[in-house]
Amino acid sequence: MIEVEALSRRYGNRLAVDDVSFIVNPGEIVGFLGPNGAGKTTTLRMLTGYLSPTSGGIRIHGIDAVASSIRAREQLGYMPEGVPLYREMRVQEYLRHRAALKKVPNVGEAVDRALEQAGVADSRKRIIGQLSKGYRQRVGLAEALIADPPILILDEPTSGLDPNQVRQFRQLVQGFGGKKAVLLSTHILSEVEAVCDRLIIIHEGRKAADLPAAQDDLEEVFVEITTGVGKNKP
Amino acid sequence: MKSAWVVMKRELASFFVSPLAYVVLTSWLVWNGVVFWVLTEFYARNAVSSGAASPLSAFFGGSVLFFIPLLVFVPILAMRLIAGEKQSGTIETLMTAPVSETSVILGKYGASLVMWCVLWLPTVVYAWIMSQHGSVDWGATASSYFGVFCLGAYFMAVGLLMSTLASTQIIAAVLSFVALGVLFTVGIGEFVFDGAAREVCAYVSMWGHMQSFSKGVVDTRYLVFDLSVAVLAVGLSIGALKARRHG
Repeated sequence: MIEVEALSRRYGNRLAVDDVSFIVNPGEIVGFLGPNGAGKTTTLRMLTGYLSPTSGGIRIHGIDAVASSIRAREQLGYMPEGVPLYREMRVQEYLRHRAALKKVPNVGEAVDRALEQAGVADSRKRIIGQLSKGYRQRVGLAEALIADPPILILDEPTSGLDPNQVRQFRQLVQGFGGKKAVLLSTHILSEVEAVCDRLIIIHEGRKAADLPAAQDDLEEVFVEITTGVGKNKP
Repeated sequence: MKSAWVVMKRELASFFVSPLAYVVLTSWLVWNGVVFWVLTEFYARNAVSSGAASPLSAFFGGSVLFFIPLLVFVPILAMRLIAGEKQSGTIETLMTAPVSETSVILGKYGASLVMWCVLWLPTVVYAWIMSQHGSVDWGATASSYFGVFCLGAYFMAVGLLMSTLASTQIIAAVLSFVALGVLFTVGIGEFVFDGAAREVCAYVSMWGHMQSFSKGVVDTRYLVFDLSVAVLAVGLSIGALKARRHG
């Protein structure tokens, strides 16, 4: 479970995230939506401990993520935007390294399971830098899953993938429904419709909406909230 | 501490599969091979006329030829430590794993010390060559290597700090080069100034440091200086990495 309360973040004079509060329940897949520059990545970076909030509170699986950042991070699997990886390493070697860093007790077993879950078992011996983007994305997901965390945070996980890869990736994420709390940042509306139970729209750093994902016309809702103008209206 | 070990292992594994490692190691050995050859030739042709008593003690800091490559290679070896993670974006996965900044910095620093030792290890063969053709003062040789290690502990800590502060590897390399170059030059002030200024310059002098160790004199003043700079720079690196979360 992720609990966020009155979260704010300043960069100098600019308020990137302004008083955002929300909850992601266990087993729920929540879409985190917003135009580019709305504050999505900044919010996720605060949830994962990469950035400190200027003010506000975060609880990850019941742990205060501001006061006990390391303990909170143990409960998280995070796939940052662009999926940064050590490109010179082999897939298996990288996952073993990450498992050791995350203090996973049985590394060999955890690596096999994560490779299987993310669908990269056939590429375990390949060098990451030589993989296609879709496969690298899966390695990123395998890394996020390595410690079998109760919470997954995925930042634009399908950007740059071809339609087949997008579909495969969505199926993978859908499989976590009912098992993990998943927060999925994206600006692709069809992705939210396809995989999420609920969606949170963030606009200019503020939470603009918290709705069920099943909407008659999600695009219209999004445009109206983020521009203040109805899609079919002048 | 286990996390520091995990970070260190990965750093070394990545370094030794990179072309950079082999370019640096090869260039380093070519350079030192030439230096060692020129110094032995010099001693073979001239009766001992310089301050250094043997080609080996001249090799270990007896000439500027010892310092020039260090001022270049240390920044190159250290630049990737943290700045490389920033440039590739992997800093985000690293710092969102359940590891402390202290573990990350200590792991990186440990890796840099291993790199430093790997750089120097092949030069042991020079001492062996000397021992085949004359006598070698093994005590002085051991203290030379000890001095080299202490100097490395200080140089690498400075390189690590610059790599933590800089946003890209090339900026990190330039900053380390300038920092070490300035420290080296200030040390030369030992031969320029008088009085208190001379004392201060002598204290930071890399030249004086290595000349003392290469003669077999383990001067604790230099050890205290090396250790102080290393601890300070590593501590500042931890602080800088922590400050990043608030930046």
